[in-house]
Amino acid sequence: MQSVRNLFHIDSDLLVPVFTERDTHVPDIDPAYRFNKDVTLAILAGFSHNRRVMVQGLHGTGKSTHIEQVAARLNWPCVRVNLDGHISRLDLVGKDAIVLREQQQVTQFQEGIVPWSLQRPVALIFDEYDAGRPDVMFVIQRILERDGKFTLLDQNRVITPHPHFRLFATSNTVGLGNLNGMYHGTQVLNHAQIDRWNIVATLNYLPQAEETEIVLARVPAMNDEAGRQLASSMVAVASLTRHGYAAGDLACLMSPRTVITWAENCQIFHDPAVAFRLSFLNKCDEAERPMVAEYYQRCFNEELPASQA
Amino acid sequence: MSTDATAPAAYTREQQETEELCAGAIRALSGSASIRYRGRRLHDGHRPLPIHASHLQPDAALQDLPSLRGAADSVALRLLHTDAALHKSLCPPEPVARLVFELLEQLRVETLAPEHHAGVIANLRHRFTAWSHAFYDSGLAEGASGLLLYTVFQMCWSRLTARPVLEKTEDFIEATRWSVSSQLSGDLAGLRRHRADQAAFARHALAIAHAVDAMLKEAQTAQDGQQDAAGDAKAQAAFKLLLDFDSDNDNIPEAAPLGDSRAFSDGAGGYKAYSTSYDREEPAGELVRRALLLDYRERMDGRIASLGINTARLARRFTQLLAVPQRDGWSFGEEEGYIDGRRLAQLISSPSERRLFRKEQFLPQADCLVTFLVDCSGSMKTHAESVAVLLDILLRALDQAGITTELLGFTTGAWNGGRVKRDWMRARSPANPGRLNELVHMVFKDGQTSWRRARPDIAALLKADLYREGVDGEAVDWACTRMLARPEQRRILLVVSDGCPMDTATNLANDEFYLAQHLKQVVARREAQGAVEICGLGLGLDLGAYYSRSLATTLPASLNNELFSEIAQLLGGRKK
Repeated sequence: MQSVRNLFHIDSDLLVPVFTERDTHVPDIDPAYRFNKDVTLAILAGFSHNRRVMVQGLHGTGKSTHIEQVAARLNWPCVRVNLDGHISRLDLVGKDAIVLREQQQVTQFQEGIVPWSLQRPVALIFDEYDAGRPDVMFVIQRILERDGKFTLLDQNRVITPHPHFRLFATSNTVGLGNLNGMYHGTQVLNHAQIDRWNIVATLNYLPQAEETEIVLARVPAMNDEAGRQLASSMVAVASLTRHGYAAGDLACLMSPRTVITWAENCQIFHDPAVAFRLSFLNKCDEAERPMVAEYYQRCFNEELPASQA
Repeated sequence: MSTDATAPAAYTREQQETEELCAGAIRALSGSASIRYRGRRLHDGHRPLPIHASHLQPDAALQDLPSLRGAADSVALRLLHTDAALHKSLCPPEPVARLVFELLEQLRVETLAPEHHAGVIANLRHRFTAWSHAFYDSGLAEGASGLLLYTVFQMCWSRLTARPVLEKTEDFIEATRWSVSSQLSGDLAGLRRHRADQAAFARHALAIAHAVDAMLKEAQTAQDGQQDAAGDAKAQAAFKLLLDFDSDNDNIPEAAPLGDSRAFSDGAGGYKAYSTSYDREEPAGELVRRALLLDYRERMDGRIASLGINTARLARRFTQLLAVPQRDGWSFGEEEGYIDGRRLAQLISSPSERRLFRKEQFLPQADCLVTFLVDCSGSMKTHAESVAVLLDILLRALDQAGITTELLGFTTGAWNGGRVKRDWMRARSPANPGRLNELVHMVFKDGQTSWRRARPDIAALLKADLYREGVDGEAVDWACTRMLARPEQRRILLVVSDGCPMDTATNLANDEFYLAQHLKQVVARREAQGAVEICGLGLGLDLGAYYSRSLATTLPASLNNELFSEIAQLLGGRKK
C-alpha cells in the first residue's frame, strides 16, 4: 500500500495497493503528467475497490492516458483495446483458428482478448467505447458485474475472473450518440449496459493555469518567462475556441492536445502565428476562420495574417 | 415599408460581418451564448443589454475596427464581472450621478481583463482613448460641466489603469484636475484598491458620483445667475444625450427601427385588422398578362446567363446543408455486409469472386421545405429585377437538390387604405382601428409546381404595378400557416425585405410602430413554436431587430457566388 499523496501529488489520505514488480504490460511513467484530482480518485477507486470505471470527456483531454498513467504508477499491467464498428464478438471472445500441431493442421480455439485478460491481473481498457456496436458490447455485460463469471460458449467453460482483473472504458459521449455532430461514428449505447458501469467520471478541460503547466511540462524549451507568457496566451485562445464552440460559433475546438502540438510547432517554425495556422486554423471551416482570427487577436494583440493558401 | 427618399446609408454586409465577429468574441469571452446584435444593439436573446457607459454607446465617429472590438470586449468583461442585480440596486437616480457611476463600473471591469488577453487590453485602451478624443474634439468638454465630467473620467481612468492621463488633453484638464483632486483623492485611491470587489468599489464610485453631481449643480446655479450660456448651448444639447439612458436609440442610422407602439399595447387583444373582407390570395401568374410574363422571363434569363452562377454547385451545397442521410434500399455487390442469397450460385461457379454481399444504402434526402416570402412594397420596385434573379437561381438550385420550394409575395390591393379605409371613415373613424388596408397575398410558385413549370410565373416579380404597401406581420403568419400544412419535416422561411412594415393608412390611424410591433410578435411566436425556422434577408438593411437569423446584403452589387453561399449558410442554420 502506498499513499496517493506521494504517488500522484494529490491532496488525499487514500492508500492504494501497488504491485512491487513491473512487467512488460505496465505502461511507462510520464513524469510530466498532471493528474486531475476527481478523475484520478475515480480511477483509483476502480483499481483498489474493483469498480468498473468509465471516463467520459471531449477529445484530446487525455482520458486514456490518464488511466494508463495511473496504472503505470501502480505497476498494474494494462491492455488497451481500440473499439470500432467492425470489432465483432469473435474478436473479443475468441475463435477457432487453424494451427500447426505436430506437423498437422488442426483447428483450435484461440481465446480473444476478454478471456485472456480475465485470467490475468490486467487492467483492460476499452478505448472509444461508444464506437463499439451496442449489440456486440453485450459480450461484456456479465463481466461488468464485479464477480461476474464469463462463459465461453464454444468450449463449455466458465472463467472466473482473476481477483486483480480490472475493466475501464473511455468514450467521447455518454452513450447518447452523436448529439453535437462532433463525434461521427459513435453509437447510441444500451442503457442497461451503461447502468452497469459503477463509476462514470467526466474529464473535461482543465483550468487555464493547469493547462499552461501541462503545455510547459510537455514542451520544456518554452519554460522561461517569455515562453510562459506565450503558453498562457495560447491556452487563452484555446479556451476562447471552447467557449465559441459552446456558443455554436465554431464547429471545432482546440483540445489540450492541439495546444501542445501548437507549442511544439512553435519550436519548429519560431512563429506562433504560422504554427497556429498549421496546427489549428487549417482544420477549421473557411467560414469560421475570421472568428478564430478574432480570438487570436484578443489573446496576442496581433492580427492573424490572412491565409496565404 | 419606408418609401421616403431620405433612407439612411445602406447597411452593408461588411458591417454585419464585423458585428457578427464582435458578438462572437463577446460570446467566447463571456461564455454567454445568447448575445447577439439586433438592430445594431447588443441583445441577450430578445432583451437589450443594459449597457449605459457613455464610451460604449454606438457612435458614428467610432466605427473603426479596434474601437468596435474594444467596445465588444468591454461588454464581455461587464457580463463576466458585474452582478447586474447588485449594480441596478446601487444605481443612483440622479442622471449625472448615474452617468458617472455607470462609467466607473465599466472602467472597473475593464481593469479585470486577464493578462493573457493582451489583445483585449489593447482594444480597451484604444476604445477609451478614441472616445476621449472624440469627446474632446466634439467640443463637449468646452462647457464647465463638460470639462468637469471629462476631467473626472480621465482621472478615474488614469487611476484605475495606473496609466498617465492622455497627453493631448493633459494641459487642458490641469486646472480642473487640481481643483477637484483634493475632494476626490480618498475615493480615487479606493477605486484602484477595491477594483476586484464590486460592492466595495461601488461605495467609492457612488461617493465620486455624488460629489460630481453636487459640483455640477453648484456650477449650474452659478451659471443661471449669469445667463451667459449661449456659447454653451451646443455642448448642453449634446450633453443631454449623454444622460439619455432609456431611449431606444432610434437615432442610430441604418437599423430597422424598433419602438413601442402605444396603440399596439393598449389596443384590446393587441393587433387586429379593421376588416378582412377585401383581403385576397391570388396566384401571381394570373395578375399579369401571359405575353408580358414571357417577355419578363426572357429579360430575366438574359440577366441570369450573364451572371455566371454555378447552380450545380449551389445545389450540392444545399444538399449538404439541408439533406439528411436516410435508408434507401440496398447496394449490391459489396465485399462485406449481409449475404445476398441471389448470388450464392455465383459463389459455386466462381469461388474467387467475393462480392456476394449487400449493404443498406443511405442516401441524402431532403425532407425540407424552403419558402421565400418577398416584400412587394413600393420601395422594393428598385430591387425587383435583382430579387427576381436571385430567387430564380435559388429556386432552381433548391429544386435540383430535391428540396420543395415555394415563392410567395405580399402587397396591398390599394394605396392609402383603399376600400377598408373608406369603410372606416364611413363609420366615423373610430380610434385604434387596427390594420387599414386590403391585403394581397400572392403565390408565385407553390410546393407542387416544379421550378420549370413555374418559370413564367416567377417573372411576375418584375411587374412594377404589383408593388404597393406591405403588412409584414400578417404575411409572415400567412406563410407559416401555409407551410405547416405541408408534409415536410423541416420548414424554413426566408423573408426578403428592404425595410420595416409600412402602410400609410394604418400608421396614420394607429401609430408608427404598430405594424413593426406585430411583425416582431409574430416572428417571436413562430420562432418559439419551433415548427418553422424564420430567416431574414435584408436589402441594404439589418433585419436583426425582427429576425434572429438574418443576413444583410446590397443588391445588385453583390449578386455573386459569395452571396449565394452566404444565403445557403443562412438557410442551413450556420449563421446566428
